[in-house]
Amino acid sequence: MFIISSKFTRQIFLMKLHLKFDFNAICRKVLDEKLLEHNIKHKIIGFGEVKLLEKLSADRLESFSNDLKEYSIEIVENQKSILVQKIKDTITDMVFNNETATNLKASAYLSDTLGHSYGYLSNLFSEVTYTSIENFIIIQKIEYTKQLIINENLNLTEIAFKLNYSSVAHLSTQFKNTTGITPSAFQRIITKRRELN
Amino acid sequence: MHEDYINIILADDDEDDRLFFCDAFDELKITTRVKTFNDGVYLMDYLNAEDSVFPNILFLDLNMPRKSGLECLKEIKKNDKFKDIAIAIYSTSASEEDIEKTFIMGANIYIKKPNDFKTLKKVLEEVVTINWQYYTNGLNKDNFLLRL
Amino acid sequence: MPSRIFKKSWLIKSIFFISAFVILIIGGTTYKKIEDLSQSSDLLTKTYKTNVELEKIFSHLKDAETGQQGFIITNDPIYLEPYNIGRENINYSFAELKVLGSDNTTLQNNLKELNVLIDKRMWYFEKSFRFSSVGNYNDENFKENFLNGKKTMDTIRGKIKGMIDTGNQLLNKRQEAYESNLKLTPMFLYVVLLLSLMLMFATYSKIISDLKKIKAANEQLEIFKESTKQSEIIGLQGNWIWDIEERTFTYSDNLYRLIGEKPQSFQPTLDNFVNFVHPEDIEKFRKDIDRMMAKNEDLPFIYYRIIQKNGTIKHFKTCAKLHRNLDGKRQLLGITTDITTEIEHFKTLEERNLELERNNKELSAFNYVASHDLQEPLRKIQTFLSRFEDKEAHKLSESGMMYMDRIKNAATRMRMLIDDLLQFSRTNKADKAFELADINILLKNAQQDLAESITDEKAIITSNKFPSIKVIPFQIQQLFSNLISNSLKYKSKDRIPEIRIIYNKAKASDEPIILNPKKPYYHKITITDNGIGFENKYAENIFVLFNRLHGKHEYSGTGIGLSICKKIVENHQGFIFANGKPNVGATFTIYFPYL
Repeated sequence: MFIISSKFTRQIFLMKLHLKFDFNAICRKVLDEKLLEHNIKHKIIGFGEVKLLEKLSADRLESFSNDLKEYSIEIVENQKSILVQKIKDTITDMVFNNETATNLKASAYLSDTLGHSYGYLSNLFSEVTYTSIENFIIIQKIEYTKQLIINENLNLTEIAFKLNYSSVAHLSTQFKNTTGITPSAFQRIITKRRELN
Repeated sequence: MHEDYINIILADDDEDDRLFFCDAFDELKITTRVKTFNDGVYLMDYLNAEDSVFPNILFLDLNMPRKSGLECLKEIKKNDKFKDIAIAIYSTSASEEDIEKTFIMGANIYIKKPNDFKTLKKVLEEVVTINWQYYTNGLNKDNFLLRL
Repeated sequence: MPSRIFKKSWLIKSIFFISAFVILIIGGTTYKKIEDLSQSSDLLTKTYKTNVELEKIFSHLKDAETGQQGFIITNDPIYLEPYNIGRENINYSFAELKVLGSDNTTLQNNLKELNVLIDKRMWYFEKSFRFSSVGNYNDENFKENFLNGKKTMDTIRGKIKGMIDTGNQLLNKRQEAYESNLKLTPMFLYVVLLLSLMLMFATYSKIISDLKKIKAANEQLEIFKESTKQSEIIGLQGNWIWDIEERTFTYSDNLYRLIGEKPQSFQPTLDNFVNFVHPEDIEKFRKDIDRMMAKNEDLPFIYYRIIQKNGTIKHFKTCAKLHRNLDGKRQLLGITTDITTEIEHFKTLEERNLELERNNKELSAFNYVASHDLQEPLRKIQTFLSRFEDKEAHKLSESGMMYMDRIKNAATRMRMLIDDLLQFSRTNKADKAFELADINILLKNAQQDLAESITDEKAIITSNKFPSIKVIPFQIQQLFSNLISNSLKYKSKDRIPEIRIIYNKAKASDEPIILNPKKPYYHKITITDNGIGFENKYAENIFVLFNRLHGKHEYSGTGIGLSICKKIVENHQGFIFANGKPNVGATFTIYFPYL
């Protein structure tokens, strides 16, 4: 399930495709295929979480786990890590796919969705990732902004509206603070880089 | 993807800067393995060797004898096997044009060497953290640009 | 001018030919008329003579008749004499008439008839003689013969009268034709003569007026020639002509002078000229000239050196253009110029330019290296200081701490200076590309750069819309950035900083502040703040490198920021002016040429 941005049709003569991936979908697909391959009865619940419908022997688990390593997918056993992964997945989903969720306060959305207090989630997240949830949200938003600038050719005003920023200046400042460069410089660099290649 | 430590390489001909760099990582909480090279030639020899371990982030000083940071950048970008390495330019100068040029050439990060140790630590921490985000959270590495 | 006159010569030529033709016609007609006249008079004479001869014949016949009658009456042979003479005379007259009527068939026919009649009459005469000789007058035959003789005589009379009448009629007709001929001929001749006279007069006046024009043209040509000679000498130019048909060269006097020779002192041949050409340039010179001579085409500018006999080397420039003169003859008109001084000037200029360029490069390299290389040790000093502070500060005494603070401050200031100096040295025009940029975006970027301090100061920045202008984008962004941060730095303590940025198009003549405008229109940008302002007497000083109006401790600053602004504006061939009023604010006005 590749989502190929419409922008690439313009570039096709350069014999180079610019792709946009839905990493979650890819991972899910890979996971699904691998589980089937190993004959494991399962149910993929959410991002990075698979419920097994049968007990697995240590051997089968190891071979499955080895197979997944090829795709850099790791079976996380640690409960903390699982929760952090859930937080990340929720945030990513919130930013990239769920525009209505973006309107809510992220803290409320997270605690609602994951069933833990925000304070707990926040501490856990910082402990495991060396960064804060807020920071992570910003990084994800800026990442989405980058994609929108490059693939959708949206201007900053449209993006600020789409991502529910209070002003263009706010988004612009956040972009600059996060990446160290202005959105226009970013766009210029990526465009020139593509021309160079 | 995560190993127990993050692999970091610095190519810089300045001894003091290498010292600061290693000290900073020593003091950071993040578990890292830092390797340093005195110039671009040593660096490229290492990277091109069969058994070399590729770094997660490669820090390049621009002004180096024998082979400059820009030359290294060009060589690395030409070779597909290095495509997973995040490249950080680590330089004294920071003119807008230089920065844009290196970004266009494929650098991901541009760091102007800070004037004090605290800032250096902060900057390096940020670089490693953000880079780690890119590795772990499925962010598009092609769009990874960071200037500090 | 000359060509116009030469075109007129066709008119004159045709007039001449028409006149000649008319005169020929006049001659021809006159000859014809005279010929006609003499013919007419000949005919008249002939007719008269014919008539006379005819009368004579008749009178001879009468004489013969009288003689015959006399003889018959008297039978005296003496009367036979007139008869015999008459007969003879008739024969003479007849011969005469035959000659006269040789070209007149009617007359000839009539004569033949007359001849028959006369012969008949004669025969009756003879017959009656034979009767009279026997004296038999009462003989019926004689009477009949006599009567027949009379009848024949009557017929002859009638015939001759008829012939004379015909002759007279012909004569009358001829007389008439002759008379009309006589009347018309002079009239026709007169008219034709008059016509040709008029034509000739017209031609004459035309020739006279053309001659005047040619004279004027010649005078102008003379002046032109003289001035050309002068300008050749002043302009160090020589002319030459290559006559394609004749395959000969002509050199102007000054061309000889240019190669250091006396005018026309040698044969103007190619070889003689080539003798002067610098040996290193001969090959190319020959090739160029040969091509020109072989293909008869324009000679583009060729450059070569010549060596005068005294050894002086001169730089020449030559070109030639194909020219067709009025007769359609093709010539190559060439100009040769001595460009030695230009080349020398050019060389010195080039050398100076190179030197200047070198100096500039050195200066900016020095500047760059100085500031860039100064940074490294400074950065290390600062970093070591921070290490020292972290690890060793607790071991220091109070004064030690103070010294360290002082060192830190000094290092920070040095860093600022170096940073700004570096930026100043980077603000060069060379190797920077001008591109059409949206100034609105550049201003926005500049605001983004300063977002933090703008937010901190709660500053209000307003601006109107800019067009896209061909600029060095980095530098314009820098310009805005520097000016805004300048306004923020020198804000008033009592007011929230307000910065108004206004764009409009300005006519150079409406802006007296621009002393030597190079363009008629300018983009005008004014940046006005409500900060502490300054005394207007410093309006120019503030742009001077390292110049500061305030103490280091009041306001941090290196005195480079506005110098950079000035440099940027000058890189864009623009102007920047400052205007201040203490405690009210400052206005910076920038002009960029409107291209």
